[in-house]
Amino acid sequence: MDGGKVTVGRTAALYAGAAVLRLAIFTLLPDLPDLLTGRVEVSTPVTSFKRCLFLYNHNVSPYDGGVYHQAPLFLLLFSLLPNALSYPIFTYLLYIAIDLLSAGALWKIADSGEAGSSALFSSPRRERRWSGFVIAAIFLFNPFTIATCLGRSTSVFTTCAILHAIAKAVSGAPFSAMVALSFASYLSMYPLLLLPPLLLLCFDRQRPERAKKSILSFAATHVPVVFGVLGLLFGMSYLITGSWEFLPSTYGVQLTLSDLTPNVGLWWYFFIEMFDSFRSFFLAVFWLHLSCYVGGLSVRIRRQPLVVLTLLLGIFAIFKPYPSISDTSLFLAMVPLYRHVFPLMRYSFVIAAVIMYASFLGPAFYYLWIYAGSGNANFFYAITLVWGLGLSLLVCDLMFAVLRDEWELERPEMAGKEIRQI
Amino acid sequence: MSAQPLSSNDNDAPITPITPKEGAPASTRKLPPPEKPSDVRRRSHVILSFWLIVLILGLPIWWKTTTIYRADLPLQEMLEWADGKACRPVFPLRISIQATSLQDQEAQNLLRLTQHALDDLNDFAGHHLRLQLGDEKLDSADNGSALIIRLTPGEGTTATLDPYEPILDITYPPNTIPSPTASSSPLATYIASQLRTTFAEEQATISYLLSTNSMPSEHRPLGLSPETTESLAKRTTRSLKYAPTYHLTFSLFTSGPLPSSWNIEGAIDEYMKPVLEVLSPIHNFTIDTQVQLYASPGVQNQILNKEDLSSFINAAEWPLSPSIGGAPTINFIVFIGNQTIANPSQDSPTSQSWLIPQWGTVYLLSLPDDTTHVAAATLKQPLLTFTSHLLSLTGTPESGSLPLRLSTLARIRSADLLLRASSTLGSLARLAMALPSISIPSSVADGVTKTMSHLRLACDNLGGTEGLAHARIAEAEAERAFFEKSMVGQLYFPDEHKIAVYLPLLGPVAVPLVMGLINEIKAWRKRRRERAEKGAEKKEQ
Repeated sequence: MDGGKVTVGRTAALYAGAAVLRLAIFTLLPDLPDLLTGRVEVSTPVTSFKRCLFLYNHNVSPYDGGVYHQAPLFLLLFSLLPNALSYPIFTYLLYIAIDLLSAGALWKIADSGEAGSSALFSSPRRERRWSGFVIAAIFLFNPFTIATCLGRSTSVFTTCAILHAIAKAVSGAPFSAMVALSFASYLSMYPLLLLPPLLLLCFDRQRPERAKKSILSFAATHVPVVFGVLGLLFGMSYLITGSWEFLPSTYGVQLTLSDLTPNVGLWWYFFIEMFDSFRSFFLAVFWLHLSCYVGGLSVRIRRQPLVVLTLLLGIFAIFKPYPSISDTSLFLAMVPLYRHVFPLMRYSFVIAAVIMYASFLGPAFYYLWIYAGSGNANFFYAITLVWGLGLSLLVCDLMFAVLRDEWELERPEMAGKEIRQI
Repeated sequence: MSAQPLSSNDNDAPITPITPKEGAPASTRKLPPPEKPSDVRRRSHVILSFWLIVLILGLPIWWKTTTIYRADLPLQEMLEWADGKACRPVFPLRISIQATSLQDQEAQNLLRLTQHALDDLNDFAGHHLRLQLGDEKLDSADNGSALIIRLTPGEGTTATLDPYEPILDITYPPNTIPSPTASSSPLATYIASQLRTTFAEEQATISYLLSTNSMPSEHRPLGLSPETTESLAKRTTRSLKYAPTYHLTFSLFTSGPLPSSWNIEGAIDEYMKPVLEVLSPIHNFTIDTQVQLYASPGVQNQILNKEDLSSFINAAEWPLSPSIGGAPTINFIVFIGNQTIANPSQDSPTSQSWLIPQWGTVYLLSLPDDTTHVAAATLKQPLLTFTSHLLSLTGTPESGSLPLRLSTLARIRSADLLLRASSTLGSLARLAMALPSISIPSSVADGVTKTMSHLRLACDNLGGTEGLAHARIAEAEAERAFFEKSMVGQLYFPDEHKIAVYLPLLGPVAVPLVMGLINEIKAWRKRRRERAEKGAEKKEQ
């Protein structure tokens, strides 16, 4: 699977195949994209394509009415395209292009071999890996990725920006990585939490000819880049919308969870049930919980920053305020980079079973609750709990495998022995 | 739910091998090799990174988001208002005496004597009548006096109230003018008693209001007879709660298809508008009308007994909306039919209308069967009835001329509002003191401040229209502050329940955090002890 020489022809065939598959679904099943756009698993309040366009097309300030919670630059982008209702093909092509760009970035990350051997650590198993072709193919033909693309969720742009930030970081272009991360943060806010591990990754992979010795001076030169670009983007948004009202209705909504539309995450149900007086406290707790992993993981797996990024993406896919399967598809795109530690994972079967169980039963339970009326909100919440359990099992197991991989380098005599966690 | 990945971070605890299955007995169990110092330091850093977030971000956020905001309320002042210590409701009524035929000296003398007589008669400090010499040219509105006494020489001693102006005409035989040296005079006593009669009802009403509120006893007038109290209580229950605007609904109900129209607009303009206009400084009115055909009353008897009256209104079928907008509705119903009301006690002709306390009036109007249109003239009697009922529904006193009754109404209403706002303030203050865990948003504090400043203004201007306006604002603000929604959220939330809120989520999160910290501290102390022992051994060597 990994030995074959990747030729230009195979690359083109992969991209063309992915594009044709998507286009075929768009054209042969014209109702499917709109159906997916309305699914709570695909579209969250902060990524919904439908919410994006309607108000803007009707000449209403998009932030009136509390429906649209996305960055203003999306409006500019979509208004440059021909009308999505009469010429949907342009929108489809844009989304397909974004998916292919993401796959390209993923390919670069895979080919850099960073997953197996970073600057400070080389796995003894690093030879067993999949080529960029395979990893890009897994990403492109992952049903979650395809569903996200068909549902035209705007989170594909964030996915693309994050993957490019990582790709630039491993190829030794810290400045571009920071710019890409700023774009991702501008679009969805939570990628800003990826800044510390990404800085570490950039620091480890900087080109030797202009390498900085100290991590602190490296951070001091690159963190301002992120905030500078973010400031620039905010300034442009201000120019487009003419006011700062986009700030509370895009980032404010993520911070305060004012839109309680159900999604695959764990927040909505909790905050529906929450006592009003404790709401702000638990919002803070949830956000702190989401962000507290950044420091711990960056310190613990300092030698492999890409692992930290992967694990954080997994944690975000479970615990962020408005997760969708798009975040899962990004995490699942990164996981195959660790082909070499798969043999060390203990629960692969359970994880696969739980994730598939949840992805089939989730829509069914949602249907029972919303349409059939024979279930209630607990049905859907229970299945999202299972979904979260499956993903967190995967995160834990991957972390365990990576740590065990590191540990076996230290203690070669223990390789292959059964161990116990204390 | 968050325990899963958190505990996975404990992966950095050393991984130790399980003894091989065929392995040696437990005593010879292979110990893991000592940890490298770099691993130990790294583990401390990991634990530190979690605890730093908890301590630096978590604790301040917890403190800030869960402390109950309690704005400072001027509790003492609020209680003073409620106890009536902050304001003595005093109604200084100025009464002008116009005596053009008298010498200035004589008039002064008469005034002094009358004032003496009045002061002797008056037993209620809050309601004070002050006489002054008035000028012919000025009328009551200009110099702010409540009543003008016009003294004219005549045959005998008579007193008549002018029906349209607040003027009391008193005639006197010229020989009754007191001499400058006299210490009493029948004329002065007469004037004083006339004044007292004129204002008796107002005095009684205000003292009734004060006595039902928690005013200190020294301000409370004595000597309200039980009958007076009862009739006042009756009138108070009959009248609607004060509102700046009332909505009047005029309805024509008929049991058949006819009559189908009525000239209510013309009738209102002609018979009711004048009264509405004079009431306008105190109340605004909005009006709507409706005609309902085939409306059957709740009681079909030809002669309605007293018990029937309460069920006459067919509340289920008649479209009488309770309240439109914020304003309370007063209903005036004309029912076309020849039913009559039995009047058991008197042998006067059967009456045709009755007043429903705090609700409105029903008038039974009998018309020939083929009337299709009710003319304005036919509506004269119903509307005059409605007008007089409107006055009593708004709480207007019953005696005296209309201008006097209205100015009295304004004063009674200001006193009423003032007292109600004060007692609301008191309740709020007692609530704030009794429940230390109730939150007091700043909007409540604002409302209290506003209430008190308007109360002060109202108290200083009692008796004038300004006083009424301020009392009105004060009452509205006090009610708004008292019924602030966000105050009651925490009310029934005892501290024990907080455990139930915190524990399910924070418990699982805290276990790995706390355990990690404890283990780390233990290990650190052990290392320190070992180092100390090593140091001691070295020294010994």
